Amino acid sequence: MIHPTEQISAYLDGELRGSERSQLMDHLSRCGKCSVELEQMQFVRSAVRSLPVLELPEGLIPQADPVVVPLRRHKGMWAGVAAAVVVAAIALAAIVTPPADEVSLQQLNSLVGARSTLDPAFGPAKVSISPLVGE
Amino acid sequence: MESIPLTWEEVARVYGRKIYNFAYRLTGNPDDAHDLVQEVLLRVHRGLSNYQPGSFEGWLWRITRNAFLDDVRRQKRRPTAPLPDEVDRWSRASTESADTEYARISLGDDIQKALLELPIDFREAVVLCDVVGLSYEEISQAVAVPIGTVRSRIHRGRKILKELLT
Repeated sequence: MIHPTEQISAYLDGELRGSERSQLMDHLSRCGKCSVELEQMQFVRSAVRSLPVLELPEGLIPQADPVVVPLRRHKGMWAGVAAAVVVAAIALAAIVTPPADEVSLQQLNSLVGARSTLDPAFGPAKVSISPLVGE
Repeated sequence: MESIPLTWEEVARVYGRKIYNFAYRLTGNPDDAHDLVQEVLLRVHRGLSNYQPGSFEGWLWRITRNAFLDDVRRQKRRPTAPLPDEVDRWSRASTESADTEYARISLGDDIQKALLELPIDFREAVVLCDVVGLSYEEISQAVAVPIGTVRSRIHRGRKILKELLT
């Protein structure tokens, strides 16, 4: 019997499709050796993925001249709704509270913009960023 | 759906964090990770004016990998030392307390040590997959090898890790 062992990690990673996937699943249902290997690979994969995510130390981003970044972030419907709610809250606060320090554009961006789509949890989920095309 | 141009600061922060985690897990050394992030961000900043719209991630990870390999060639770096001795140096730049950071690092200490035992090609593939979260296609582009090779390296890397961890 040929054991398709290298397909096991691909299967765990969601990288196996179609007939290749169904053939492996069929094989796993009949092969104790490969079933054990599946469990072992699952253990190792989970172990590596359990490593703590390290925060970027302060001061690591080099000071650089402003540059045009050919990327955009997309704001989906909920980000738009969230933005509207925050803007409304800020407007309301401005009406009902005494004048205070102005909310900077950067603060506003941090509330409604990038963090809503820029993968704050740093996981396998993809960052919603796309190249700037045609501009 | 509205789209907004990203600032350099945003790009550097988001990808800098990913590069830092990649470099740290690959080298096991916070100082090397520190240097690599700065070098890559400088190369990315310099390259943005010539960047052609396409796979930004692929482009970025090619730069990261090339910078890492350049560093290895320059220093003839050995697989680096275990982590606890490094904690003092690492925590100086961290926003968390030293105790908290030490606990976090110790938790993954065995796994980190095992990663450093892997041949570099396998380690790189496993880290890009399981730490950075790239797909096989993205790893294939970054490392410039066929997807079948990526699949093989990840699986063989995990098999070695299994032997080291059990």
